Amino acid sequence: METVLSIDNISKQYGKIHAVKDLSLEIRQGQVFGILGPNGSGKTTTLSVILELIRANSGSFRWFGQAPAKESRKRIGSVIESPNFFPYLSPVNNLKIVADIKDLGYNDIERVLHLTGLYERRNSRFKTFSFGMKQRLAVASALLGNPDVMILDEPTNGLDPQGIAHIRELILLVAAQGITIIMASHLLDEVQKICTHVAVLSKGTKLFDGKVSEVLAISDSFELAGNHQELLIRMLKSHPAFQSMIPGTGKIQVYFNKEINPEELNQYFFQHGVILTHLSERKRSLEQHFLELLDNHK
Amino acid sequence: MIRLFKIEFKKILTYKIFWTLTGLYFVFLSLGLMMAEFMINHMVDDINSHTPIPLPHITIYFFPRVWQNITFFATIRYVLIFPAIVIIILITNEFTFKTIRQNVINGMSKAEILVSKLLIILLISVVTTILLSIGTLILGISNTSGLTLSGIVEKSTFVIGFFVSILTFQVFALFFGFLLRNTGLAIAVFTMYVFIIEPIIYYFLKSPLVFKNGISTYLPVNSVLRVTEYPAIQVLKTVMGLNLQDSVSLAACSLPLFYSAIMVGIVYLVLVKRDL
Repeated sequence: METVLSIDNISKQYGKIHAVKDLSLEIRQGQVFGILGPNGSGKTTTLSVILELIRANSGSFRWFGQAPAKESRKRIGSVIESPNFFPYLSPVNNLKIVADIKDLGYNDIERVLHLTGLYERRNSRFKTFSFGMKQRLAVASALLGNPDVMILDEPTNGLDPQGIAHIRELILLVAAQGITIIMASHLLDEVQKICTHVAVLSKGTKLFDGKVSEVLAISDSFELAGNHQELLIRMLKSHPAFQSMIPGTGKIQVYFNKEINPEELNQYFFQHGVILTHLSERKRSLEQHFLELLDNHK
Repeated sequence: MIRLFKIEFKKILTYKIFWTLTGLYFVFLSLGLMMAEFMINHMVDDINSHTPIPLPHITIYFFPRVWQNITFFATIRYVLIFPAIVIIILITNEFTFKTIRQNVINGMSKAEILVSKLLIILLISVVTTILLSIGTLILGISNTSGLTLSGIVEKSTFVIGFFVSILTFQVFALFFGFLLRNTGLAIAVFTMYVFIIEPIIYYFLKSPLVFKNGISTYLPVNSVLRVTEYPAIQVLKTVMGLNLQDSVSLAACSLPLFYSAIMVGIVYLVLVKRDL
């Protein structure tokens, strides 16, 4: 598949703070690429660099295999942070400005207004819009003229559940058309629901990236204690599905890389001469999983 | 170029503050120009009541001098500040609404952003110059006895001087707008510079103790105001013995244009280097 965006060793510093540090990414056509990380992990900085809003201190990036230029930005639809429009202009006039900038005609404006449910309000001034409507107009402007790539920065931030559902549906609809999507989010759940690929950022560094199904594979953990601690640990490490463990006071927390049922586990230890004195299964929430992902890579 | 102009025009077409301010500017300008003669003669009457030798009433709306008289009044600080503030608002709005970010994201280059604002300055300058020329023609024709074509055309170069003044003054405003980014701050600093800071520097440099070579006339705002000098008001001529300017000189025009070019260059560099 054709490479849409390649980022090569980008760093951006604000004084002593490294907002982004030696970040490299490769995003291919048709991917729904999530950039996942907590607030302040460098997601928006990264997006701002690739959209030429800010200059990186070092490193480079290429859009569609070419050095950055305004012509490639015209092929990208973006929603970055807050919706930025002229408050005294109607959505139609705001979108006409966008169309002029992108060298598009005005005939697509009606379609994107319908898609985002703003058609009825097409002639009201932007400043009379609710936040949800403003955000939808931002999405409408990004959709204008069927871009090759869509960039979304926390697209559901601050929206009510209905708004969130609407925006997610739209993103999936766009992705189904084969448009490459790059989405920054601090919500693991959102990335998991929408994205095919993901890069996890923390403090400006990439922890890992790959397919969502692999990187974000959720494994449950068990809390264990046994009559023979040393043997228990040894046996754990030789278990075929063993991933990692956190030894605690008496109890050990263990992660497996695939689904294990407690009965199977109990049997495994019994067969190897360890009698479990404690066994409890721990279902993790996605948020917990995300925090652990970050912790494990510190 | 046409694309940039279309974009900018959409931004101002339904912007009430823009039309209110430009409307006020044109009303203020035309009223001021129409009442200038009346006000000067009022002053003359005032002076006459204190002096034994009465001064004659003057007329300023006769060809060919009307060109200079009108452009002089139209290029004093108090009048030029109007379009300058309009420009500052249009530029700082882009930062307030963050639309400058959005425009870049959507595919405008930093150079295009600068050029699009320069186009608006050009538009305001051209329209104002045309309106001023029409107004001057009307005033001149209705107040001059024995009209000749050469009389009308003679000294019409002052219109070019007016165009240079209004254009460059707005470029100065653009400079403050792009550098300071905040509407209130930019208007405050620009107005303070024009009305307080530069006049102070001017009088400091003018004092014979400091410099003798007239360096004070090279200050940016002063260079704009000097394109059209004191008009040929006969009273001033006789009373103060001033030297009169006969036409707009290329040298007088080139200095403010030179300043404008430098400012546009600085704004471009800042736009390219600074994060949005």
